[in-house]
Amino acid sequence: MASLTTTVAAPGVYRARLVRVTLIWVLTALVLFPVLAILGLLMRTEQGGYLQAMSPEFFYAIMTLHGLGMVGLWFVAGMAVISVLLATYVKPTTTVSWIAYGATLTGVVLLLAATLVGRLGVGWYFLYPLPFHSGGTWPGWATASLFAALAIMGVGWTLWAGDLLFAIARRYRLSHALGWHYLGGSTTPEVPPIIIISTVSLIGVLAGLVAAVVILVLVALEQLGGSGFTNDALLIKNLTFYFGHMVVNVTMYLGVAMVYEVIPAYNGRPWKTNTLVVFSWNLVLLLVMVAYLHHLYMDFAQPRWLQVTGQLSSYLISVPAAVVTIFSTLVLIYGSTMRWRLPSVMLFLGVMGWAIGGVAAVIDSTVAVNTHFHNTLWVPAHFHTYFVMGVVLMILGTVFHLVTELSNVPESLALTKTIIGTVGVGGYGFLLMFYLAGVAGVPRRYAVYPAEVAVGTIYAKISLIFIAVLLIGALVYIWETGRRCLKLFSS
Amino acid sequence: MPLTAFGVFLASTTIILIVFAIVARSTNVPRDISYAGANRLRLLFFASLGVILLIFLVLTLPDLPYPVEASTPERVVLATGKQYAWSLNEGTAPTVANWDDAFNQKVQVSTGAVVEFRVTTLDVNHGFSLYTPDGHLMAQTQAMPGYVNRLRVKFDKPGNYTVLCLEFCGMAHHGMRGLVEVR
Repeated sequence: MASLTTTVAAPGVYRARLVRVTLIWVLTALVLFPVLAILGLLMRTEQGGYLQAMSPEFFYAIMTLHGLGMVGLWFVAGMAVISVLLATYVKPTTTVSWIAYGATLTGVVLLLAATLVGRLGVGWYFLYPLPFHSGGTWPGWATASLFAALAIMGVGWTLWAGDLLFAIARRYRLSHALGWHYLGGSTTPEVPPIIIISTVSLIGVLAGLVAAVVILVLVALEQLGGSGFTNDALLIKNLTFYFGHMVVNVTMYLGVAMVYEVIPAYNGRPWKTNTLVVFSWNLVLLLVMVAYLHHLYMDFAQPRWLQVTGQLSSYLISVPAAVVTIFSTLVLIYGSTMRWRLPSVMLFLGVMGWAIGGVAAVIDSTVAVNTHFHNTLWVPAHFHTYFVMGVVLMILGTVFHLVTELSNVPESLALTKTIIGTVGVGGYGFLLMFYLAGVAGVPRRYAVYPAEVAVGTIYAKISLIFIAVLLIGALVYIWETGRRCLKLFSS
Repeated sequence: MPLTAFGVFLASTTIILIVFAIVARSTNVPRDISYAGANRLRLLFFASLGVILLIFLVLTLPDLPYPVEASTPERVVLATGKQYAWSLNEGTAPTVANWDDAFNQKVQVSTGAVVEFRVTTLDVNHGFSLYTPDGHLMAQTQAMPGYVNRLRVKFDKPGNYTVLCLEFCGMAHHGMRGLVEVR
């Protein structure tokens, strides 16, 4: 491996191995990202009425691939990037990262086969019992492939999260890794925020994966047991959303950990752990376990006290995010000698996207509002906001920070402006069409809009222009980052 | 409600954009920051956010869409989902065995009546949603295997209210519909 700088502060051979596996993850993400984004473009094109040759079954198959792919992609990208940043303080095992990579690739191949060949169309959270009621659209092997993919990736990701936690545990005992001694007034040992946020996130990953295992076991008992056992649809729904909500939120938290770690490199103001940071992230760990309940507001059979808990916890979890992380980012940057480069701008805008998407999410987590927004396009509007304009910017900003410093390829200011301009205009324009359609009550996940919600077609058409602009920015970024990665490999 | 929610969202987004712009511009003229002052501002922000969230809780929690046991609806309609149609019946709901005979896509109710839809499904999860004659989403609940969700709606205006599916249920999800005629 070529000139390694202090960006990845780990010793010799280990550092080279770590950088190599991280580059493989990054290159894979850079290939999958535009492919999955183009699937999104195709879906909006179909909804805009321009792709009538595409059958609804193909639309729903690529919708499933787009959703599962994007959620999985940004989770593994977040894990890979956080691994390399953690190596400044602890020593994750590169072998486990490779195992996770192999498991992820196997899962991707199975999902590609299930959706593109088998036409599996179940949505990214494959709500039970839909995978077993294809209505003749997809064969049984496609459903089997989906669950095999989930099981294989689940094992790989569990090992990966466990390895990162174990690496942290070798240096910090759990109470220190969660910063509890700060709450008791002690600042020794000093624990950087990235350790605390990563520990919270990794515990969250494992808690989410436990739910996934329970789902798989329950489904297997029903499908393979032959005992007449029937699953409780509400229980499976709770487990499914607990798992899905956890994976998505953990990805977000990994991105935020990158902000804490990387922004100081651009303005020289250290971001240290304090009581407030510790309290807020431990609170997040508790609240994220119950905030998923807002996904089930329209399941009226769910006990009322759980519905109220969902709204309370969703409101509460916004407080540490806003008052501690977002506010602290602004304080950290305010009046500092900030070097505005592509990574710092992307991280800054990522925090802004997180804030905007967070507001939309809190609004939708109000039961009385959810009645009007549940499963309308408001839902993809808000999660695309804190993904595309939030965590994705944080992860890609950090990736660019790493590969630019490692490769010593200077940044082009003109290309930086191009990327930021196109991503900003394209991203928020594309999102605005989702929001407006959501306000109009246009359902999400419709291949074709019936007359009652035909206004969705207009918003889909307009969004195509913005998606094209966004894609241009993404491709310029991929070019700039990809060539740095390839230079690192070739030297 | 949707327009109010969007208004709150737009106002919040505008504030966020302004604050981020101010912070970004502040780096043009580097200066030391008073952390004591920042913490006072943080406290103010915390208190403001707390008050705003509390106000929203107080205003919205009484408006839960779940039916109250004590009240009695004027009409009961059994809404049964099955890939890819809604059957709206009174008296007896269709089963998988008699679906073709018992299926009923349309129901009539009186203007001003409080109707309770008892929503369930014979196969996968569906989303029972009512759209007003001018295409606005007025109410919804999920249809889950093994459960009956009760949705109370008062139809103030006459017209044709469309039932669409709001939980993805398969290939013809977008074509799954029913009709409530309010006369």
